[in-house]
Amino acid sequence: MSEIVVTHVPHKRSIPFGQEAVGALSIIALGAIGYFLYPDDLAFLTRLIGIAFLVLSLDLVTGYCGVATLGHAAQFGVGAYAAGIACVRGITDPVALLAVGVFAGTIMGLISGALITRFRGLPQLVLSIAVGQLVAALANKLSWLTGGSDGLSGITPGKVFGIFNFDMYSRTAFLFSLGVLVIVFVLLQRFVRSPFGLMCRGIKDDDLRARMIGVSIYPRLVVMYGVAGAVAGIGGALTAISTGVVGLDSVSFERSAEVLVMLVLGGAGHLWGALAGTVIFMIFEHIVAAANPFHWMTLVGLLLILIVVFAPRGLIEPVLSLASRFKRKGEAA
Amino acid sequence: MNKGAQSILALAILGLMTGTASADVIKVGVIGTFSGPYALFGKNFKMGIDAWVAQNGNKVGNHTVEFVYKDEEGPNPAKSKALAQELLVKDKVQYLAGIYFTPNALAVAPLLEESKTPLIVMNAATSAIVEKSPYIVRTSFTMWQNTVPAAKVAFKNGAKKVAIAVSDYGPGIDAEAAFKKTFEGEGGAVVEAVRIPLATTDFSPIMQRIKDSGADTIFTFLPSGPPTLGFVKAYLDNGLKAGGVKLMSTGDVVTEPDLPNIGDPGIGILSTYHYSVSHDSKENAAFLAELKKGGASLDEVTMTSVAAYDGARLIYKMIEATDGKRDPAKAVDAVKDMKWISPRGPVSIDPATRHIRQNVYVRSVAKVDGKLINKEEQTFADQPDWALSTK
Repeated sequence: MSEIVVTHVPHKRSIPFGQEAVGALSIIALGAIGYFLYPDDLAFLTRLIGIAFLVLSLDLVTGYCGVATLGHAAQFGVGAYAAGIACVRGITDPVALLAVGVFAGTIMGLISGALITRFRGLPQLVLSIAVGQLVAALANKLSWLTGGSDGLSGITPGKVFGIFNFDMYSRTAFLFSLGVLVIVFVLLQRFVRSPFGLMCRGIKDDDLRARMIGVSIYPRLVVMYGVAGAVAGIGGALTAISTGVVGLDSVSFERSAEVLVMLVLGGAGHLWGALAGTVIFMIFEHIVAAANPFHWMTLVGLLLILIVVFAPRGLIEPVLSLASRFKRKGEAA
Repeated sequence: MNKGAQSILALAILGLMTGTASADVIKVGVIGTFSGPYALFGKNFKMGIDAWVAQNGNKVGNHTVEFVYKDEEGPNPAKSKALAQELLVKDKVQYLAGIYFTPNALAVAPLLEESKTPLIVMNAATSAIVEKSPYIVRTSFTMWQNTVPAAKVAFKNGAKKVAIAVSDYGPGIDAEAAFKKTFEGEGGAVVEAVRIPLATTDFSPIMQRIKDSGADTIFTFLPSGPPTLGFVKAYLDNGLKAGGVKLMSTGDVVTEPDLPNIGDPGIGILSTYHYSVSHDSKENAAFLAELKKGGASLDEVTMTSVAAYDGARLIYKMIEATDGKRDPAKAVDAVKDMKWISPRGPVSIDPATRHIRQNVYVRSVAKVDGKLINKEEQTFADQPDWALSTK
């Protein structure tokens, strides 16, 4: 683990904002491929981006802080419901709805963080499930507000910046989501390499040692949870805006478990790992479900087993070690 | 990893490139639950459609009809909407059909007008769905449709004090409201109303509560599956049946695949429903024979196969009326007021609501030739969706 932390310390001679530029350009390039090569699949790709925010958010608490959680969909769902309810009640500007989602997600993140990070290990896991279930039960019970099991429908957001309408082909929704993803990703790249982010890694690697050098762990984890909540809230709000409905699935246990699988698949503790996991899992699922809508789940299970057996620390790990080997070779020469 | 990524990418490209439409093929996108706990009902969609195609061929005039299936998996509106968009944009389907869950139907509804696509709902049973778009027609049922006759029969059978126990989600709450309104309207009293969380498997405490309430009849609705069996078992084991408390339910609670598990003690349980597998008519016999020919086991047949079979009939009629052109208004007009004999009995599409009008049967569990069936005893003819229309 310590080796990775070192690679995240900025080099002296590096170009300022180099990593961020690379990150932004890579996502834009991937987005452009999606937009131009698969113009018929933008609805799916938009959904993928929405989930990617949730996986990134989970990465912040699980990958960077070592918090085990199976209730992370709560933040996503609260963001989605908040944005959806705001839209139904008259706020239709997509950017404002996004802000609503961020706000609700942050609050939810702080609350669950305050509860969950008090404990470690199994109690923590159990508590995270409890928080997730509590939110799910509330979403079902408060049907006058959330639509209950029928889902919250009738969300019709206005035009983006007053110009671009949300259309059936999801062009606007896709570009809007992609733009938000680029901004959030760049900010997160900075954030995880900030002293705060590095300290969270330190806490994850050895919390006793962190305590010994005078770090108070609990408030840091709560703040991190708040940030994660904001990121998940963005994902929720984007999903609500682009699909026009919010259902109980967005706060369900299955959603929480699924994103954990995606994160482990890509590699926890790396932002790129979170993205890669989401993209690979969802595209694979999409293709096999289209090819065989009756037995596709078996194939997804098979993929997961294969990856856990051959790349137990996520798909990003072998890529990173390859990259660092090249780097070392270059430095030696 | 690089190799892995390459092959996944290659797979991706391959997968995304297939599926272009040729001129005279009319595609119908069917969204259903084909995996997970509700897979049986999605499978029944396909069985019903296959039976229709086997009987009527895959051509309407000179247009070839092709059904494309997508898995909605569970109540997941965002996914269903993306699937519908994909069907419309990529597969260029002219009709959408299927849909098991209400939230999923509500998510798809806003796409219909922009894409000019009719949607035939083959299950999702919340009344309001048909109001979401003028291009929605429904061939299944609603909770109100099946529950109102149940309340009338309960009152006629001498029930005075009823305890209602329903699952705590949309259709359950619909059923509770429908029963309460009708039963109290007739002059009876509802002494207890319990909403049971969907994941409940131990119903003994609920039975105790019902016992304490002094009710003489229980009305219940739970979505078919493990909970319904548990509920009926608890009713029998806790001595309520022996104590003279009657059980009245919608047909979801005593589906045919569950009857062998309930066993002989279940004989006499009353339910109201729009379709029994044992419905005695030549149309149903032909339908079941066709299902069997298609390789289906008759123990798996549920109401969704009939809804899909009748839905396919409407789609064929729509294609015929529009001569294969995309004209949703004309297509929907062509099936409004359509009347035919379905395997479930005589049915028609209500022109005002675009929901199916049908007989609702009062059935009791009975043993015929050593097999438990839902025996139809009384018929409420030509029932509308009571929440939408008053006629």
